[in-house]
Amino acid sequence: MAKKKCVAMLLAGGKGSRLNSLTKELAKPAVPFGGKYRIIDFTLSNCTNSGIDTVGVLTQYQPLLLNSYIGIGSAWDLDRKDGGVTVLPPYSESSEVKWYTGTASAIYQNMNYLKQYQPDYVLILSGDHIYKMNYESMLEYHIEKRADVTISLIEVPWAEASRFGIMNTNEDLRIVEFEEKPSSPKNNLASMGIYIFSWNILKEYLEMDDRNPESSHDFGKDVIPMLLEENKKLFAYPFKGYWKDVGTVQSLWEANMDLLNEECELDLFDHDWRIYSVNPNQPPQYISSDAIVRESLINEGCTINGEIEKSVLFQGVSVGSGSTIKESVIMPDAVIGSNCLIERAIVPFDVKIPDGTVIRSFEDEIILVTEEMLSGLYSAF
Amino acid sequence: MKRRLLGVIDATTYHEDLEDLLTHRSLAALPFAGRYRIIDFVLSNMVNSGIRSVAIFPKMQYRSLMDHLGSGKNWDLNRKRDGLFFFPSPIVDTDGNRIGSFEHFAANLDFFYRSTQEYSIISNCYTIFNMDFRPILDWHSDSGCDITEIRHQDSGSMEMYLIKTSLLIKLIETRHETGYSCMKDVVNNRHPLYNICHYEYDGYAVMIDSIENYYNTSMNLLKTDYWKQLFIKEQPIFTKVKDEPPTKYIKGSFVKNAMIANGCLIGGTVENSIVSRGVKIGKGAVIKNCIIMQKCQIEENCYLDSVILDKDVKVDAGTHISGTTASPYVIRKGTKQGALMNT
Repeated sequence: MAKKKCVAMLLAGGKGSRLNSLTKELAKPAVPFGGKYRIIDFTLSNCTNSGIDTVGVLTQYQPLLLNSYIGIGSAWDLDRKDGGVTVLPPYSESSEVKWYTGTASAIYQNMNYLKQYQPDYVLILSGDHIYKMNYESMLEYHIEKRADVTISLIEVPWAEASRFGIMNTNEDLRIVEFEEKPSSPKNNLASMGIYIFSWNILKEYLEMDDRNPESSHDFGKDVIPMLLEENKKLFAYPFKGYWKDVGTVQSLWEANMDLLNEECELDLFDHDWRIYSVNPNQPPQYISSDAIVRESLINEGCTINGEIEKSVLFQGVSVGSGSTIKESVIMPDAVIGSNCLIERAIVPFDVKIPDGTVIRSFEDEIILVTEEMLSGLYSAF
Repeated sequence: MKRRLLGVIDATTYHEDLEDLLTHRSLAALPFAGRYRIIDFVLSNMVNSGIRSVAIFPKMQYRSLMDHLGSGKNWDLNRKRDGLFFFPSPIVDTDGNRIGSFEHFAANLDFFYRSTQEYSIISNCYTIFNMDFRPILDWHSDSGCDITEIRHQDSGSMEMYLIKTSLLIKLIETRHETGYSCMKDVVNNRHPLYNICHYEYDGYAVMIDSIENYYNTSMNLLKTDYWKQLFIKEQPIFTKVKDEPPTKYIKGSFVKNAMIANGCLIGGTVENSIVSRGVKIGKGAVIKNCIIMQKCQIEENCYLDSVILDKDVKVDAGTHISGTTASPYVIRKGTKQGALMNT
């Protein structure tokens, strides 16, 4: 197999428990976002747009949909003769089944995949985040700094800093301290979970981590602290731009609403940095003479007979006449009957909302509609 | 499943009445319904009818058609065996509107010899319809017909013919002796040796042959009755995918009774119109009764009524252009329209 300068390893096993019923049957990277996409589309598109053509996607939790979605990678132009996308599920060895117990062990168990490309650098990514980033520039930075590891970081609001891995750097941007989810953060520069490792360092330290019975085999908790202890050259790569970890129903809703803003930093219309996705191939959206559409993002295959305001509608959604959808996210193929009111809610895929249903949130909290909720609503009548 | 049917699409047709829209493309590649090209309908019908081998016979101006079809991947026709075949005409000067020119087929006879499908369907490239060919093939073989012409109550012959591939080869080989130059000749001559049948199709079908007809058929898409007959979930119309984001309606937009494709940014009013992929409509602009093709940019405060904007047209801010619904104003591909040009 041809040698590759840089191979990407995309961790896509995230369970996303705080997304509740949305991730009951699919992994977090497969959660729909932005009227058309799944979260993992952003990372995969970033790879293609950055000229990285060899990507291992590590799946574990609810992999069926994700595996078939990724397929041979043609949607992202990653169906290549040499390299391309490879889905890497956990596998059993002669003696035992090896689940991915941590981010580091997941990579370690796929060292043979990496070795066949003899990479100089390995880019480690998470499939949980929404952002556009040029990994090629990050790699150039890594080479220029002669770093052992480069970690990209972003400024987060102080109040949220304890949710992240926080980095403290010197003025050269060399990382002097790394704290995973600190209770009292000294800094608000958070790790984005994006690492570039020089191959020899990755190999050496993952082997070392594997031998350590005390380790939880996690990059943030175990591998990075070990590297810092041994005074390896870890550099921070500052990232500016839109970046969102949509870990909760609230943040998923917010990220969707961000797209409706005319000045949204996450530009989906940039032809030079396309976000690719599996195209549903449906007819154009039909806005009937009874419909009113204001400040919304609507995908193909939708049939709109009602009033849509500040909402995101995925492909194949239909909205009956007399219905109003306000500040909501309606996922693929959901059917909203007539004379419904849906406000500040997320309606998951394929859900059918009967005529006359009213779902609205009077508090700050966003409602995630479930089948149980709907049957409850109707048994009450 | 046995592959019984070979698809043959004649993409040589040119209609002078559509000239304004055909200067850069063949009729087969004429954009329709916001994201399709006319040929997508017959091609998708073939694929949805289980046809796995389709030959397309184009003539002039086929660059846009080739760009659109590519390897056939979007129709699942990029196959190791069979798939999509492209046979441009070696003859520059043949009679324009004969569907299934035997002279053109003769130049590619090897393809027919090599095809294993027992039957062939020969079709024109400019009909808007959603039809399953399988019941017609069953009807054709059960009725003992040699040639079946598909007809429609409104338009007469739909210029679609079912025939045994071996008989088609024979007709091509003997074209000089018989004087038959195309399928129409054979059917109209009612040769006593052949059992020629007619199949009446009663579904929705329109053959696009003039601007007026193109405009009316497009506008009919805004009526659910028509729309439902063309876009059927189980029989999708495939086309080249473009990776456009969903359409974004920004503050000040007002849209009703419209068909809008992906990748548009809409800041103005759109009524009774078809808007294709990647169109930008500025704030305060009013678009009524229009067909706006791909990637047009309409700046702020324009007023367009009953206009067909071909691809890549740029309309400067404040421009007013009006046609009538009976005779829409056509603006050619890639042109720039200024505020003072059409007043």
